[in-house]
Order: sequence, then C-alpha cells, then structure tokens
Amino acid sequence: MTTAPAIEALGLAKRFGRTTALADFSLTVARGEAFGFLGPNGAGKTTAVKLLLGLCRATSGAAEVLGAPVGDRETRRAIGYLPELFRYQEWLSAREVLGLHARLIGIPRTKRAAHIGEALDLVGLAARADDRVGGFSKGMQQRLGLGVALLGEPALVFLDEPTSALDPAGRRDVRAIVENLRARGTTVFLNSHLLTEVERVCDRVAFVDGGSVVAAGSIAEILGASRSLRMHLESVDESVRAILSRYGAVAAEPPSFTLRGVAEGDVPRLVTELAAAGAQIHAVEPARTTLEERFLQLLSHDDADTHDRRADAS
Amino acid sequence: MPTLTIAALTLREAVRRRVAAVVAILSLVLVALIAWGFWKLNGAIGNRTEAIGADAVLAILLAFMFSVVLGIGGAFLAAGSIAAEIDSGIALAVLPRPISRAQYVAGKWLGLVTLVISYAAVSGALAFLAIRFAAGYDPPNPLGALAYIIAQSVALLTLALLLSTRLPALAGGVLSVGLFGVSWIAGITAGVARALKAETLAHVASAVGLLLPMDGLWRGAVFDLTPVVVQVAEATGHGQHVNPFGVSDPPTPAFLVWCAVWIAAVFGACVGSMRSRDI
Repeated sequence: MTTAPAIEALGLAKRFGRTTALADFSLTVARGEAFGFLGPNGAGKTTAVKLLLGLCRATSGAAEVLGAPVGDRETRRAIGYLPELFRYQEWLSAREVLGLHARLIGIPRTKRAAHIGEALDLVGLAARADDRVGGFSKGMQQRLGLGVALLGEPALVFLDEPTSALDPAGRRDVRAIVENLRARGTTVFLNSHLLTEVERVCDRVAFVDGGSVVAAGSIAEILGASRSLRMHLESVDESVRAILSRYGAVAAEPPSFTLRGVAEGDVPRLVTELAAAGAQIHAVEPARTTLEERFLQLLSHDDADTHDRRADAS
Repeated sequence: MPTLTIAALTLREAVRRRVAAVVAILSLVLVALIAWGFWKLNGAIGNRTEAIGADAVLAILLAFMFSVVLGIGGAFLAAGSIAAEIDSGIALAVLPRPISRAQYVAGKWLGLVTLVISYAAVSGALAFLAIRFAAGYDPPNPLGALAYIIAQSVALLTLALLLSTRLPALAGGVLSVGLFGVSWIAGITAGVARALKAETLAHVASAVGLLLPMDGLWRGAVFDLTPVVVQVAEATGHGQHVNPFGVSDPPTPAFLVWCAVWIAAVFGACVGSMRSRDI
C-alpha cells in the first residue's frame, strides 16, 4: 500500500495573462482525511482544484495526486469531481449520464448497473433516474453531479461548493455523505463557503487568499490559536487594563468585552490577578471561536497587512 | 474505447436534440420535390438529348444544394461540439476522467464524420434514385460525386472543430462557413482568371484553393456528375471560357493526397490546441 499523500502541491503558480490566480501554492493532504479548502471569492480555490485535476496547466511548480503526477490518466480513474459550475448533458437521463461516466472510468459492463443504482440511491435520485436532466432543478442537477463524482468508489473526491444549490435537507444529506466517505477511507477535498459544514465534517482545513495558503492545520489547531474569553468586569482601572493587555487583546470597552488570544492554562491566574487588582468579576466564560470568526479574522488580518504594505510603499 | 464512447455520445446528441429528425424530414421533402421537378422537366422537354442536358445541369445544382446544406450543417455542429461543452461546463465533468484530450477530440470528430457520411449516403442515394425514377437519368458517377461531397464536408467540419477549441460556438460556426465561402469564391476566381489569362490572380486564387481545399473537392463532385459529352466540350475549350463553374478534369491524385494531409494536419492542430487549452 502506497504511503504517498493524497495531494501534495509544491509552489504551484498559475497566471492568466497579467492576472495571477495562484502564487506559490503549497499543500499536503493525507490519505483518508476530509480536508476543507476555504477562502474568499477570487482567492484561487477553483483554480487550485483545476490544476490538481489537470484541467489547467500550472505556470510553475509541481503537484502529485494519489502519488502520481497531476493529469496521470490511470490515477484519474480513482478521482471524482463535482465542479462548482455543474452542468451535465441535458438531453440525457440521470441514469444515462452516470452510464457515460461509468464507461469513461472503465467500470466493467457487468457491474455498471449496480454502481449506477448505488449512486442514484446515495444522492436521492432513484425515483427520477430515467428523467431527462434538462427537466431537473439546480438542486437535482447538483445531486446528480455528486452521484457522478462518487461513481466507482473513488479514492479521492473533489467537491467544489457541493451544497450551493441545495436546500437544508440536501445539505444535511451531503454532510452525511462526506462523513460516510471519510469513514470508508476516501479522501475528501471540500471547497465550500459554508464554514459550519466544513467545521462539522473536516479533519483539517486550509485558508487560501490572494492565491496562496495563509493558514493550514487541524480544526483544533486553527481555532485554538485564537482562544477568547467573554468577560463582564466592573471597577476597571488602569492596573486592571494593564493585566488584561498582558494576557490578550481587549475587544470593545469594559464592562462587557471579549479578551482574545488567551492561552488556556493562563485563565485561573488571570482571574486571580484581576481579583487582586480590585476588579469586580461578574462573568468569565470561554468564547468558542467558530471557523467563520477565524476565517474573518484571517481575512481582516490579511487586509491590514495589505494596507500596511501599501502604507509602507507610499 | 473512450474515443468510441465520445463518438457515440455525439451521435446520440444529434438524435436527441432532433437534429437528425429535422434533417431527415427536410431531406425527404427535398427528394420528393426533386422527383416531381425532374418529372415535370422531362415532360416539358420533348427532345431526349436536350432533356439529358437539362437533367445534368439540374442534378449538379441539386448536388450543390446538398453539399452546401451538408457542409454548413456539419460546420455548425462541429463549431459547437467542443466550444459549447467548455462554455457550459459539461467539459469540466468529462475531461477529468481517464480520457486524453486527443481521444476526446477524436471521439467528437468520429461522431460528426459518421453523422455526415450517414446523412450524405442516405439522402444522396434517395436523391439519385428519385432522379432515375422520375426522369430516367443517371449521372455518370454518383458514388464518386457522393464521396467528393462527403470529403468536402469532412474537411470543413475538421476546420470548424479546430475553431471550436478556441472560439465560442457561434463565432466558430460563422467563421468556418465564411471560409467555406472564401474557398468557393477562390475556385471560381481561379477559373475566371485562367480564362482571362490573369496569371497572378490565378496563382493567388489557386493558393487559397490549396489552403482551403473544400471547393477543389466540390469540383470533383461536379466532374463526376457532368455527362461525358459536356466534359469533352469543357476540355476542348468550348465550355471553359463561358462557364467558370464547369469542370473539365477530375482532381489530380496529388490534390487528393494534399486534401488527406490537410485534413490530418488540421485534426492534429485541433488536438494540439485542445491539449494546451485551460478548461
């Protein structure tokens, strides 16, 4: 059994004319993990996915997928892909679309019907299997796309905004599908704006902005880096403020405020020091940072850096 | 195997999108009109020799109409076959599969060529049979003419497929049909220039005819549909000066080899263009 990562990208760059879509993009995704790929619009997420699938050619850098160079034809049998812009032959039925992909993957003729039936059941389209795709709603087409991506039990699945056209029930179904894929050892590369979904199903995430990865790690690592405390204090004088600023960054003015960036082990000592300094402590509770908050922090930090760089330049 | 899958898909698309049905109905109506027209024409002309001459001219005009329909139809289908899949996003789902860009292009080409050959064979056979039954007239070499018309259409659709790898469907369709027209005009211009002994113009028009060999192939069809007596008149100079559409000689073997090389080269450019294209 190969030990090569599911995805390994090193310094990938992609330029379209003068526009740099991706710059020095490096990333490693282990086999069997559900990986969240996050970033604002235009950050380069879809370009990165297309490079890893061989749909676009990198301007520089290198990448391997499932231990083979990007674009390797045999390896592509083991890769499923649901594009963000999902469109299938509207003049075919859902079953025929899956049949087409089953032939392209090389599923033996005798096993095709079973694989197609499984995919239809999995995405909830069995009842509409023989209807033309042209009559499907966007949500149904996205379900079909998911079925196409999962056909033939791929080892690696790229899902680019897989719930963009789905209702809440559909999103729940996709979450269950991703959890099921992870349970059976399939690597899932999930590109999504729905950070709550990503937080629920992914082992690790990477934030991409401006064409390169700005942060990557497990969910715990990403969120742990910014532990916050919600506090309600009264009698806050300069000495209390000095203590607070030693432990973290005060957001908003007391009495009710959030103290960001406090190390977990420092909380008891912080409370003791505040009490000794005469602060009246009404509430101290850990504020769990969501992935969404962390995402916005990273972006605002990035914006500030950009602003600083511009200021320096001027 | 992936090539045949894409070819079968291309054929199925033509059937499902009712292209095949519309073309079949149109062809049947045209064949019926042809039979009626030939029957009426031969009834109006009492002299058998004169009737054969009129039948020959009418047969060539009808073949011209069929070749234009076939050429333009094939060009528009080819111009949309890759571009539309890239623009709509269908290609995003198909191309990550274990299929090379060359196989994808070959599948599209094969499907379109099969479609053109099927249509030309069926509609051509029906048209020639209709002429035989209505007027008792058989063109000298209908199979040869059919082969030239098919070759002309294959050349044009290969060019349109190349354009389809880079241009939107409509732009590719309009441009390929425009180039078809340029080829046709170049052929006529070359004939007129030779008759008027305008050598420079004749050379330029001939060069354009080599770069866009569709008209040269069509002239092969005209030769095969022209009765021997008219061919002799053209060859001896009695027809050439007054008829730039007339053909006195069949295409040379060298020209036919050139056409095969041309189609292969354009197909190769199509594969190369697709390989280097970001989807």
